Amino acid sequence: MGLLQEKDKEYLKNEFSKLKNDVKLVLFTQEEDCTYCNDEKMLIDELGSLSDKIKVEHYDYATQNDKKEQYKIDKYPALIIEGVRDYGIRYYGIPAGYEFASVIEDIMDVSEGSSHLTEESKKKLQAINKPIRIQVFVTPSCPYCPKAVRTAHKIAIENDFVTADMVEATEFPEVSNKYGVQSVPKTVINDGVEFVGALPEDQFIDGVISALEPNR
Amino acid sequence: MTAGIYTGRAKLKTLLLEEKAIGGEIVVADIVENYPGFPKGISGSDLTSAIEEQARSFGVEICEIGATRIELNGENRIVHTTDDRMITTKTIIIAAGTQNIKLNVPGEKLFTGRGVSYCAQCDGAFFKDKEIIVVGGGDTAIGDAIFLTRFARKVSVVHRRDKLRAEKILQERAFSIPSIEFIWDSVITGIEGKKTVEAVSLKNLKTDTVVTKRIDGVFIFIGNNPNTGFVKDIVTLDESGYIITDENMGTNQPGIFAAGDIRSKMVRQVATAVGDGAMAGSSVQRYIEKLETVKK
Ligand SMILES: Cc1cc2nc3c(=O)[nH]c(=O)nc-3n(C[C@H](O)[C@H](O)[C@H](O)COP(=O)(O)OP(=O)(O)OC[C@H]3O[C@@H](n4cnc5c(N)ncnc54)[C@H](O)[C@@H]3O)c2cc1C
Repeated sequence: MGLLQEKDKEYLKNEFSKLKNDVKLVLFTQEEDCTYCNDEKMLIDELGSLSDKIKVEHYDYATQNDKKEQYKIDKYPALIIEGVRDYGIRYYGIPAGYEFASVIEDIMDVSEGSSHLTEESKKKLQAINKPIRIQVFVTPSCPYCPKAVRTAHKIAIENDFVTADMVEATEFPEVSNKYGVQSVPKTVINDGVEFVGALPEDQFIDGVISALEPNR
Repeated sequence: MTAGIYTGRAKLKTLLLEEKAIGGEIVVADIVENYPGFPKGISGSDLTSAIEEQARSFGVEICEIGATRIELNGENRIVHTTDDRMITTKTIIIAAGTQNIKLNVPGEKLFTGRGVSYCAQCDGAFFKDKEIIVVGGGDTAIGDAIFLTRFARKVSVVHRRDKLRAEKILQERAFSIPSIEFIWDSVITGIEGKKTVEAVSLKNLKTDTVVTKRIDGVFIFIGNNPNTGFVKDIVTLDESGYIITDENMGTNQPGIFAAGDIRSKMVRQVATAVGDGAMAGSSVQRYIEKLETVKK
């Protein structure tokens, strides 16, 4: 039995008919010690079956260290959505519930190679001159979270210095505890800047820019 | 979205602006039991995704940006957006709903996201086997207190009066759950902790005594304020800031209508919001027809 319903598949097939460039879904899972790895594998395989523009690659987190290093992955399950290049889009933990829509929208943007950020945002992001890691903590039942995840991922598409992670907070309690996550969406940028809530695009970007300050 | 179903079916070009989450505040409701057509109840998110599908099927376009201002220019109405666009249209339906009120006590802002929450559906999972407080006595507070017992070991409902405002059926359910405790006639006067919430100060309004209670989280549902900031110079509001309309959802500005929780009215529910939406959609249709006949 599949995870997607027939009617969702129809809808997605139609959406994916608009895809431009190929999109690669790179998934890292592990046999042992992983509650949602199998579900995520199934889900991603189903997505891959809906369009020949979507390619799926599986790697084993426990053994395939070369790939792990290539993608700089530090937890599992991990999903990378790659287009003509690796834009830095990461999903740690299963993108279930509301986050499923983020995956679909990311696929569309990545295929097009376009972030759809405003011109003003794009201009501001040009100031980034060093690596930035954005982590957006979510839960699958949070309707406001996809907005933050998508904004972070759009920034990653726009700027090659940026890696943007969705982190499903309940699957990674140690990481969540480290950052004191008790409300979602919570965004952490380079371990220095933090904010709670789905901020509008311009404020989100100001947060990213403030992480560039030398005292951070 | 309901208004959109009506205008979409009338073949009017319809754009819906949403700045947060498609579906509005009901998306975070665990279960809606009083909306007709669903005898076993339906989750807020299932209900809104069905309405969304219906609206889109009639050609409603949904754009995930916010409106910041409305400008009047002759018979045109111009909507300014958060991404600095200007959208010119003949009619606008304002259905921006409400947002939750803050307690305004020391520590609330500092600990928001560190134990203070306004969304049970989003954050409940972080309080597994913890002890939490729910502040409020209305439908949302009691409904979410019941929902939160799925995670929390103990839920204490803090209410400033000695009886609840919530529906009887919710009250009975809450009273029957052993892990829910009620702290009557009390308000929170401060929230304390180191990294996260550790305690609150509770003041009993009858005796004026203040006690400190050890706690892991505070969920605040003490009511709502209308999201009318961006239209306050354009349409007439009542003394609480809600938009005043006539019975056909018209505001004091021709071509501008209002629907749902943002309206000055008694009952703010999905069923009444949907009714308003149907009315507003139909009024828009009539308004446009009139504009066109005047022109001819
Ligand atoms: C936890 C909870 C449980 C509930 N349970 C029930 C129930 O069981 N039964 C029931 O009938 N009702 C229930 N309600 C009440 C119900 O949710 C509301 O009555 C209903 O959602 C009102 O709909 P609305 O469209 O008027 O406003 P909203 O649902 O508030 O929608 C307004 C939308 O406008 C958006 N917005 C605001 N400002 C702007 C802007 N400037 N630009 C763009 N977009 C903007 C907001 O983001 C929001 O999504 C519940 C509410 C909550 C919070």
